[in-house]
Amino acid sequence: MLLKDIRDYQILFLSLFLILGIGTRDWTLRPEFIAVAIATCLATQCILSLVKRQGGRGQGEDSFLVPSPLNIRSALITALGLSLLLRADHWTTIALAAASAIASKFFLQVNQKHFFNPGNFGIITALVFTSDAWVSPGQWGEDWWYGLLFAGTGGMILQRIGRWDTTAAFLGAYSLLEAIRNFWLGWTWDVYWHRLMSGSLLLFALFMVTDPRSIPNARIGRVIWAASIAIVTFVLRNYFFLPTAVFWALFMFAPLTILFDIFCAAPRFSWVKNESTVTSQLLKEV
Amino acid sequence: MQIFRFIMPLLSVLISVLCFAPTAWAFCGFYVAKADTKLYNKASQVVIARDSDRTVLTMANDYQGEVKDFAMVVPVPTVIKKEQVRVADPKIIERLDAFSAPRLVEYFDEDPCNTYNQRGGDRFLALPSAQLNEAESPRRDRSLGVTVEAQFNVGEYDIVVLSAKESGGLETWLNRNGYKIPRGAKQLLKPYIRSSMKFFVAKVNLNKFAQSGYEFLRPLQISYQSPKFMLPIRLGMINATTEQDLIVYVLSPKGQAEITNYRTVKVPSNLNIPTFIKEEFGDFYKSTFETAYTKEGKRVAFLEYAWDMSNCDPCAAEPLTPEELKQAGVFWLDSDSPSEPISPRFRRPFPTSNVFISRLHVRYTRDKFPEDLMFQDTSNRESFQGRYILQHPFTGEVKCQAGKEYKRSLPRRFEQEAQTLAKLTNWNIQDIRRKMRLTVGNITNSWWERLFSWLGM
Repeated sequence: MLLKDIRDYQILFLSLFLILGIGTRDWTLRPEFIAVAIATCLATQCILSLVKRQGGRGQGEDSFLVPSPLNIRSALITALGLSLLLRADHWTTIALAAASAIASKFFLQVNQKHFFNPGNFGIITALVFTSDAWVSPGQWGEDWWYGLLFAGTGGMILQRIGRWDTTAAFLGAYSLLEAIRNFWLGWTWDVYWHRLMSGSLLLFALFMVTDPRSIPNARIGRVIWAASIAIVTFVLRNYFFLPTAVFWALFMFAPLTILFDIFCAAPRFSWVKNESTVTSQLLKEV
Repeated sequence: MQIFRFIMPLLSVLISVLCFAPTAWAFCGFYVAKADTKLYNKASQVVIARDSDRTVLTMANDYQGEVKDFAMVVPVPTVIKKEQVRVADPKIIERLDAFSAPRLVEYFDEDPCNTYNQRGGDRFLALPSAQLNEAESPRRDRSLGVTVEAQFNVGEYDIVVLSAKESGGLETWLNRNGYKIPRGAKQLLKPYIRSSMKFFVAKVNLNKFAQSGYEFLRPLQISYQSPKFMLPIRLGMINATTEQDLIVYVLSPKGQAEITNYRTVKVPSNLNIPTFIKEEFGDFYKSTFETAYTKEGKRVAFLEYAWDMSNCDPCAAEPLTPEELKQAGVFWLDSDSPSEPISPRFRRPFPTSNVFISRLHVRYTRDKFPEDLMFQDTSNRESFQGRYILQHPFTGEVKCQAGKEYKRSLPRRFEQEAQTLAKLTNWNIQDIRRKMRLTVGNITNSWWERLFSWLGM
């Protein structure tokens, strides 16, 4: 059973990043906060699944409850993602972020598809509603081997879930815009590479913006959607000087997933389908 | 000090940043000498007091050449008017430096036979601020052209604020007006001009300077409102071939500041080191910093201190008074409740105030720091200090059993300290051991002879 599900790899890699981050990047990350994030995510997931199952019996199958009734994997991924990205002074902030992240999956959905990336929703909630949360965009630095590690592990997952297009559209659009800006301003190209080689940006592009459950189902939809996020990220970062630009951009575009799904119909992604089904779906989409 | 509010038009979305840099203070501008004097700079020091998008920036002037030759060009995000500029008291930066500098603490072992009190009184020594490198000086060129947005005089400085449409024009203007521009500046001015930045040009008014009676140039302090929280370092690197040091004191009502486009790493801290370091703490810290800097690939910024400004433990200097904080640019003290007055005494049981200081030490070179520094203030109120510990052994006679064990344990402790020191500073361990022998050697003979036999020497 272990490592059958792609999400098991995701859990493995995110844990690895967390360990690497704490071990080699001396983050101000407290182990008890990771525990709080995991515990809150799992608890919220359990409670809401039970409530939902009680209330929604007879409404037809709900695919994300099928594989494991409690869907521990998804909650764990959210918890790890939050631990990697979000920093706070008090554990209550982490708990709030974790609880709202999971709750968003249950309450903010259309046609049984949640449209916010849970981790992203949790981060935005904490940034908006608490005064002690922050994100450290510079925490990974720009060492090449991190880029390679992220690209390798992320690529492996994307390969299996077939969401390369999203990352490619996001990174492609973003790097193009940055290149144009860099050229226009007249900076040397090492400035450009420095801006793109940020570990946090790669982590976002490979692991967050690609969550297959909350992004548009159709390829063309995903490409346009990801490129739009890149444009907004670019504008927020360079003209509004927001260090957390990517998270806001994703947050703003998440609800548009619904529109993309209406206009570009395609089968919904499910974690339980095996690889061949996913591939055949993709073929059908094209 | 006054709070300067400056309302920027919405257009400011396109206006870039705050960049300030005097060059001699090499960080974000460049010196333009009017003569061929060699200009040297030690570490540049900048104080940034910032609450939301309001910023008060103080640049220490450590210019050491002839006063008449001093001039600087600094890109700024908005037009700066006379009310937005003042001359600050140079002591303020010294105070901030002393308050936040890495420190040495000293403990004395008690008589081990005296069991009721194991821990000796501690003392600490503040360390003279670690001082740094020298950077290079600019060169020359000549030509003309540009819009003078404002022209005024503040203290001993004559200030001109310029806007330019293209770098050639700016270069021309500066040259025509007798400023020498470093070669290569034109290309670097372009990105700032394209980001709609203005240029703050200051030189010394010799009459005013003579009247002021000051021996040195005082820091310039500028207030403005801009969403961009950054320091331009690129201009200061035009001709620099060596590493440059920049110390940024960020004062914020929230918490720690960090750099968003480079890693911010804490300096090694809370380590026990041999007692002879007391005599050479400056060298020790320089080597420690250099070693850490090299180990991190020369591409990170270091956090040397992060603390609520109402207290310290141990205090390298007394906390700044509210008056001094205002001098340093803290403008939000009045509006908030007069909160806790800052204690004039050293060890008050940790009150908190709404000024949090972060001391960031950036040693940069052109190849590892291609992009200007971008900052953010976070809500992280965790305290941190660069602190090194000297633990003096008990030197009296010991008669009890515990005392003998204590003496026996010392060689191992000294060796540990020697190794820590070697690791931190990359100094030769044999030299360290030799020096330790000199300092602790004349205490007693019995145990340290064993130390060296134990070390195989």
